[in-house]
Amino acid sequence: MLTTIAQAVVNGLLIGGIYALVSIGVTLIFGVVKIVNFAQGEFVMIGMYITFFLATSFGIDPLIALVISMLALFFIGVLLQHFLIRRVLELGDMPQIFLTFALSLLLVNIALLLFTANYRTVQTAYSETAIHIGAINVPLAKLIAFAVAMLLSGLLWMFLHGTDLGKAMRAAAQNRDVAMLMGINPDRVYCVAVGVALALAGAAGSLLMPFYPAYPLVGQIFVLMAFVAVVLGTLGNITGALIASLMMGVAESLGIQFVGADSGLIVVFVMLLLTLALRPNGLFGGWSR
Amino acid sequence: MIGEEMMATTWNSTLAKRRNRRDFLKKSTGAIALAVFAIARKAFAAEPVNIGGLYPLTGSFAQIGQGCVNAAKLAVQMVNEAGGIKSLGGAPLNLIVSDVQSDTTVTRTETDRLISAYKLSAIHGAFASALTLIASEVAERAKMPLLTGSSSDQLNKNRRYTFTPFSRASQFAEAQLQMTKLVSDSPKVAVIFENTAFGTSTSNGLREQASGQGVEVVMFEPYSAGLTDASPLINKVRASGANMLFPVSYLNDLILIIRAIRQNGLEIAINGGSGGFVIPDFYKNVGSVAEGLLGVAHWNHDVNADARKVNENYKKQYGEFLFEYAGGLVAQTFMIADALERAASTDPQKVRDALSTLDVSSGYAAMGPGGKVKFGPNGKNIYAHPVGVQWQHGDLATVFPKEDARAPLLKT
Amino acid sequence: MRRFVSQGGFWVGALAAIAVALPFLVSSTFAIDIFIRVLLFAFIGVAWNLMGGYAKQLSLGHAAYFGLGAYTSTILLIRYDVSPWIGMLAGGIVAMLASLPIGALCFRLRGPYFAIATIATAQVLMLLFLKFRDFAWGAEGTTMPNLGDAPLMMQFDGKAPYYYVVLVLLAVGLAITYWIERSWMGYYLVAVGEDEDAAEAIGVDALQIKRNIYLVSAFLTALAGTFYVQYIYFIDPNTAFSFNVSVEAALVSIVGGIGTLWGPVIGTVLLEGTSALLQSWLGGGHGGVQLTVYSLILIAVILYRPAGLIGILTAAYDRVIAGTKRLNKVPLDD
Repeated sequence: MLTTIAQAVVNGLLIGGIYALVSIGVTLIFGVVKIVNFAQGEFVMIGMYITFFLATSFGIDPLIALVISMLALFFIGVLLQHFLIRRVLELGDMPQIFLTFALSLLLVNIALLLFTANYRTVQTAYSETAIHIGAINVPLAKLIAFAVAMLLSGLLWMFLHGTDLGKAMRAAAQNRDVAMLMGINPDRVYCVAVGVALALAGAAGSLLMPFYPAYPLVGQIFVLMAFVAVVLGTLGNITGALIASLMMGVAESLGIQFVGADSGLIVVFVMLLLTLALRPNGLFGGWSR
Repeated sequence: MIGEEMMATTWNSTLAKRRNRRDFLKKSTGAIALAVFAIARKAFAAEPVNIGGLYPLTGSFAQIGQGCVNAAKLAVQMVNEAGGIKSLGGAPLNLIVSDVQSDTTVTRTETDRLISAYKLSAIHGAFASALTLIASEVAERAKMPLLTGSSSDQLNKNRRYTFTPFSRASQFAEAQLQMTKLVSDSPKVAVIFENTAFGTSTSNGLREQASGQGVEVVMFEPYSAGLTDASPLINKVRASGANMLFPVSYLNDLILIIRAIRQNGLEIAINGGSGGFVIPDFYKNVGSVAEGLLGVAHWNHDVNADARKVNENYKKQYGEFLFEYAGGLVAQTFMIADALERAASTDPQKVRDALSTLDVSSGYAAMGPGGKVKFGPNGKNIYAHPVGVQWQHGDLATVFPKEDARAPLLKT
Repeated sequence: MRRFVSQGGFWVGALAAIAVALPFLVSSTFAIDIFIRVLLFAFIGVAWNLMGGYAKQLSLGHAAYFGLGAYTSTILLIRYDVSPWIGMLAGGIVAMLASLPIGALCFRLRGPYFAIATIATAQVLMLLFLKFRDFAWGAEGTTMPNLGDAPLMMQFDGKAPYYYVVLVLLAVGLAITYWIERSWMGYYLVAVGEDEDAAEAIGVDALQIKRNIYLVSAFLTALAGTFYVQYIYFIDPNTAFSFNVSVEAALVSIVGGIGTLWGPVIGTVLLEGTSALLQSWLGGGHGGVQLTVYSLILIAVILYRPAGLIGILTAAYDRVIAGTKRLNKVPLDD
């Protein structure tokens, strides 16, 4: 019994690492640019396809493709902010919500047209192996994904707290007008924020490929979990998103184990709705809208 | 001199003109004759018979849908090359395909559109049980005969126009349970199934018949389609102490489940049922892990010589083996042709009646397991039964029951 | 005659007359099917618009009420032999009741928070109906019993009767919207939508207003749900609580003209019309084209005409009216 619980917790943590990469991206954009990016999952999907094609056409291992994927998506993020998001920043709720929402629809369906709904998988040397810690089974690919996810989160934290640009981002997040008065160029900061967030999504995509198939709708599943984590962890709070993601991964896993395999999502949604009912600003208080 | 030359020229030109006229007449007579012949032929040539094919070419079932349509086209080609419908003057079959986009609403609209826009004599489709149920409803109300390989038992309830030549979900269940004895004497089975029409109907059949077959079901768990992670599910399977796993799923989650079993180092026998398990894409995505895995199917390409022939044809054109549903619908096309032949009419009502009296035991129409097709009052083929298959060397071999086995069981 | 043309009512009347006559003018059942879809989604859009357009509560979970309406009437029909006409109203009531706790939960959230929460509620309902097979058939769903031609049980031979049913539904939805627009509630709605805090400051009970409009919106959406499953003869959780329904409800309103009476109608005509055209050009087999076009239209509207395309039509209409008034030598500022 204990083994079962322990295994369930480990499973949950490992997948939670991926949820974290996606949710941190969402919360970063929200914190700095004040927009909810409904299309974040689609950028994970793009990362997955980039990794897939690099692996099958050039034999590049997903962990190396990670770098390319992150760079490509950073670039896309800058373009996204500069040409699209910037134009709806002052326009109010409806355009802000539906722009990224429409973008999400667009990306999924373009992917459907280009790649069809077929599942694409990548086999690597470590796709099927697992490490055994006592009686606990830890699939290697997932462990690597978790480790890299934590590493990237750590790097992000250092960036935000240690570099000038990072501090500028946090300043713009806290109070855009004062930040402008202090000489911070908000558009530049926003571009970096969106770029970094999408790079994280791209990383998630690359890390997923060794053990998860790519297909146009794949982003939608992950983004759903990410949204819940973002709300739970308080919108804009990166550490919150990380902790909430891990919690949710574990909750989902335990839910599947003890409530029912079709109840994982229900458990997660109930968590969301309870949080909204009891602590609408998330578990960590902080910025409200 | 000049006069002579002129005369000669004139004579030559006259000759030439005459020759040209002769040639012209010869050629034009030939052409006219051909034209008359062609017109006459057209007047007597038979109008093609329209049949409809409803398959998901886009959306989550797209991979399979595309294969189905390929097979449908091949089948029509085969019927036409053999002379078409002789009782209708050699009328060729004309297949009209509609993409139901893996969506229930679209299925409703498209079935309607197909039936009302074209003069159809019969339709077949739509792979996924949920979609076929809708198509069946529309067809029933429009009094259009529908043939389908979909396994949902609901398709045989309260219908006169739906014909199911192949085994039903409940029969699949029986076969799967019987096959457990191939692997173990005291089978303890974990059943995990997608929360879809296909998953629930098949798994229900499994649960209901288990004790009757001497099989203990130690886990019976529906799961939400679209898993992010199959590991928790596999964890549960391990904890249940099962020695055999029945995953009932379409391709999507099957890939995750099989890989998760490997990743988590779970040693367990697997019978993947049918659905996504018995298509070439499964092997493509899962690789050698699939070797030795068992499944069930309502049709396989090694069942008899006819099936093998069609498979060769298909493989040549499309590069992969002819899978269960696709092969089944080739047979269905020939069943429709047989009905048209006997009805000597394109009227859907007459075709329906001809189908209800169908009784074949040879030819492509009968190339399914059991080798015979005859429909009972509820549209079920009284001879239909599933076969057990096994992945061997990247292909599917029929291994169960003994009468149908075409290859020895690979021990894993 | 010319005098009449300058009245807005004339145009509405003309439109209504064409709408009523349409099934007699068009023989293709496929075309009527398209019209039914247009009317149905226009109706759902109108229902959504009350919440999303006027009160600016951008819900992406209206499928919850669509599904509740559909399931209520189906359960009553199949288990208790109750006519879907009654079942439709019962479904509306169930939806209204559901909107109360959902509203209570979600209304304290603003903007995207609210949208995410509504998505979650629709998803939870879908998952619940998938899970509980005993009273609602679970994932397999069920087909409607074939009763042949049974108008009292909302089953008809042929398409035209269905067309008229949904036409009436749309008319009702438009009438309700029109009436609300001009009532005191309408003014409060818009005030809350524009700036909830300011509205509260001048004494408007925002929560009450939001709750009330949610009741109406949920009720109407549920009616659409019942009609839909009666029309396609089938129900299952994926169809009833489909995210696509939620999306299209919002989409047609935004593209057509959010917060306007005719916006959803215009949006639906454009989007469904485009969809039908695409289908006949490309046949089937190009999955993703329709939604790609939809999303491009939506992005274009958001970036260039956030008030919706109705602006273009209103401008044209105004010009026509001004033209006819000039012809009548009626003073232009009438």
